[in-house]
Amino acid sequence: MKEKFLQKEQFPKFINELMNRYPVYAPIKKNGFHVFEKISSPKIIDLEYSNTKIPPKELFFPRAETLFSYAKSKEGIDLIQDSHPDETRVILGIRPCDVLSFLLLDKFFNSGKFQDPYYQKRRENSLIIGLLCADPQSTCFCTSTGGSPFSEAGMDISLTDLEDKYLVKSLNIKGDQLLEQIPWLGTASERDIFDATRRAKKALASIKTEIPIEKLSDKLEKLFNNDAFWSPFSQKCINCGSCSFLCPTCHCFDVVDEKTSTGGKRIRLWDTCQFTLFTQHGSGHNPRPTGKERIRQRIMHKFCYYPKTLNEIGCVGCGRCIRVCSVNQDIRSIFKAVQEVEGG
Amino acid sequence: MESLQNSMREIVRNLLTEHKIDLAIGYEKGTLPLRTSPCFVTKEGEIQKLVWNSCCDLDLTKYLFKPENQNKKIGIIVKGCDARALTVCIAEKQIERNKTFIIGMPCLGIIDKKKVEAAVAPKEILEVKVIDDQIIVKGKDFERTLSKKDYLQTSCLACRYNNPPIYDALVGGKPLELPSEIDWDKIIAEFEAKSPEERWAYFSELLKDCIKCYACRNACPLCYCKECFVDQTQPQWVGKTTDISDIMFYHIVRAFHVAGRCTGCGACTRACPMNIDLRLLSKKLEKIIKDRYNLEAGLNPEEPPAMGAHKAEDPQEFITEGH
Amino acid sequence: MEQKTLLRKKSNPYIPKLATITEITRENDINDLKTFKLVFNEKEHFKNFDYMPGQFAELSFFGAGECPIGIASSPTEEGYLLFTVKRVGTVSTLLHESKVGTTIGIRGPFGNGWPIEQLIGYSIVIIGGGFAFSTLRSLTKYILANRKLFKAIVVIYGARNPSELCYKQDLAEWEKSPEIHLTTTVDAGDKNWTKKVGFVPAVTKEVAPTSKDAYAIVCGPPVMIKFTIPVLTELGFANDKILLSLENRMKCGIGKCGHCSIGEKYVCTDGPVFTQEQLRFMPKEY
Repeated sequence: MKEKFLQKEQFPKFINELMNRYPVYAPIKKNGFHVFEKISSPKIIDLEYSNTKIPPKELFFPRAETLFSYAKSKEGIDLIQDSHPDETRVILGIRPCDVLSFLLLDKFFNSGKFQDPYYQKRRENSLIIGLLCADPQSTCFCTSTGGSPFSEAGMDISLTDLEDKYLVKSLNIKGDQLLEQIPWLGTASERDIFDATRRAKKALASIKTEIPIEKLSDKLEKLFNNDAFWSPFSQKCINCGSCSFLCPTCHCFDVVDEKTSTGGKRIRLWDTCQFTLFTQHGSGHNPRPTGKERIRQRIMHKFCYYPKTLNEIGCVGCGRCIRVCSVNQDIRSIFKAVQEVEGG
Repeated sequence: MESLQNSMREIVRNLLTEHKIDLAIGYEKGTLPLRTSPCFVTKEGEIQKLVWNSCCDLDLTKYLFKPENQNKKIGIIVKGCDARALTVCIAEKQIERNKTFIIGMPCLGIIDKKKVEAAVAPKEILEVKVIDDQIIVKGKDFERTLSKKDYLQTSCLACRYNNPPIYDALVGGKPLELPSEIDWDKIIAEFEAKSPEERWAYFSELLKDCIKCYACRNACPLCYCKECFVDQTQPQWVGKTTDISDIMFYHIVRAFHVAGRCTGCGACTRACPMNIDLRLLSKKLEKIIKDRYNLEAGLNPEEPPAMGAHKAEDPQEFITEGH
Repeated sequence: MEQKTLLRKKSNPYIPKLATITEITRENDINDLKTFKLVFNEKEHFKNFDYMPGQFAELSFFGAGECPIGIASSPTEEGYLLFTVKRVGTVSTLLHESKVGTTIGIRGPFGNGWPIEQLIGYSIVIIGGGFAFSTLRSLTKYILANRKLFKAIVVIYGARNPSELCYKQDLAEWEKSPEIHLTTTVDAGDKNWTKKVGFVPAVTKEVAPTSKDAYAIVCGPPVMIKFTIPVLTELGFANDKILLSLENRMKCGIGKCGHCSIGEKYVCTDGPVFTQEQLRFMPKEY
């Protein structure tokens, strides 16, 4: 774990070094928001951002992914074995909350009798350079979900913004090996390290939301059939997919086939429990017929079922759902309401 | 603005205490600056939650379609654009006029939070005060004063019906004037001058960030179908992938489904998390309806929607002149 | 750069194995129920398809999608798999329109299946309704093939009318067999029907199978289950001795896509078999 520093003027040089070796994904600015994309030049990287609109889960669990393709033959079907890009890549500028989301998704996709090879492969082939948060937003609550603005969990290398330079810290062998290839990075001074620690403390203190989210699981279980509890939230919700699609830990998907006259493919796509069709049977029967059941499902899944099955909270406190919800449904209000329910 | 808020609350109080309504749907203060949230009031004690200000952007008509709100007498707070959408729903016999008490709010324009956020980005806005025609925006280490008229919703700048055309009570008693600033005809004319290839390129570029969350459809008060064409499987009309053709198909078909009914309230654009502005498409469709049939949606609850009725004098040059 | 595929590894659970339809049996008069006999194109896939009664597979109609279908054959029937499919939606309709020789994809076996080990040494009361009998057929044949391991075998199978009873050949055999006590019933008979007429719950009450050292296994439409459970309770069956197989909308079949969840459980991995005791604590989201 050696601390290095990178002067901001040298940032493009650093990126070019990376790009000479690997494809690099970083945040770029688009139409009023940031997203992670494969960059063609260091110039388009923009690290002056709170967080990306679309969470970087997209890089491991893409919006649309071909599972396999097939071709029709005289005998029937030829299953074409899709090869997936084995590109080893560097993803730079991910916030601590989003990196924690990967650890959560790892647990989910790798658990149980069946594992997800597509997700796993992408994770194996990625080197994560995280960007620690000096300036959390008012909607951030990572500290309530087991994270923190300066958490380095899950990162291979961390960057801390020290105004004129970045503190660059390798956190494991993978990180060491990469930094060894960029020997011109200077060693960070004690002052730099102290500066980073100071910023970390400041960032931590700025997070105002404090909710013991892990204690909500039992209460939520008891609230399942309490219509009066869920009604104020389901009243507002318009059951679109904004919160789920833009949530770093939501991972439900749909599987569809597409075909041509000569063959076709099977694709998996992001899906959300908020859509009516999500649970609809072929017979027309729908176990979650109204928005009330569906919004309840999302909250229960993240804050009650996840703790039960994976011993984790299914949320990293990034606050995206609060910001993107067009009707200002604020998940913090839901937490507060659970907390205020009597009996524990 | 405050007097309008107080008058609005009084009207709701009277309606509730006289049992003329079971439920009032309005706006409450949001948890973030520049935001309001839908407010559902059934008791007198809750009336204080209702607010009226330049951040009351949502079209609340949508909530009349919620299953839990069926068969209730509902008082709903609507701006001009919302009232027109509601009028369309009444004309289409989806909302019962005699169960709905329409509380009309004359409106001077709603602030576009996305525009304000963009003005100070990447800094976070922590507090906003709107005083007359000024927006005072404060953050951790900054304060800026913006001129409200530069930060209104695009649909407000082209608004011609800022006073609800249909209401049971007009809050404040008198309508308000609002000058139109955006010349949509000019914008559409620019678009109309493009070749089909250029138009396709424009829409491809516009829609490429679409994540198919359907917030636009779910926010739109006219998208009330119990089974949307998107969800049908036999036959499957639209592909579900994120290929641009599937995205385009969804948006184009939805635009056609609301053609002649869309009032330009902007709910779709506001709801979109990816900042996609669908208004040019809907404005063009509005223009076609106006030019061909001299109709504007949502002004008359007795008038069937343009695409849902036929008159003998309707232009039919596509038959007579083989166009 | 060498491109490796994810599919050469055996462990990609999203890739179907190819199989061919070798036989199609019409199960009812209105022709919306068919049993398909499927044979893997590569014989070695049979070895890897190690299934138990109660499990299901995802059948692919390439280009249209998949549907989860309970395996109707018993693992004791070698060299083929049987699936009984009701024509309901896009994929099942295309299956119904397929001819012998069509290539179908199979992913599986999925699900927990009937808990055979727990059932050993007990009497088994199998109660089925309509086409939900498919995995019960698998179980019945399996138990019969291992007859000595179980005490009494009681089967109560009902359908709307005689034509809707599936596996007529198997039923005829079982009627003659002393190893199994079979009662078939219909809601409404026809001029050729000489056996029982009555709903399954009422017939269960009549047959009154003993609950002593017995498990009851129930599969059928929700209304049948709703009225059969109280009958079993009255007969003395404890909730943890009543087994049900649930259905929910499914896509991946491997507990990842989220569609079939009931509370924190997934029907495709924690189920589809659940005891009545487990269901008491699960939300009614199925």
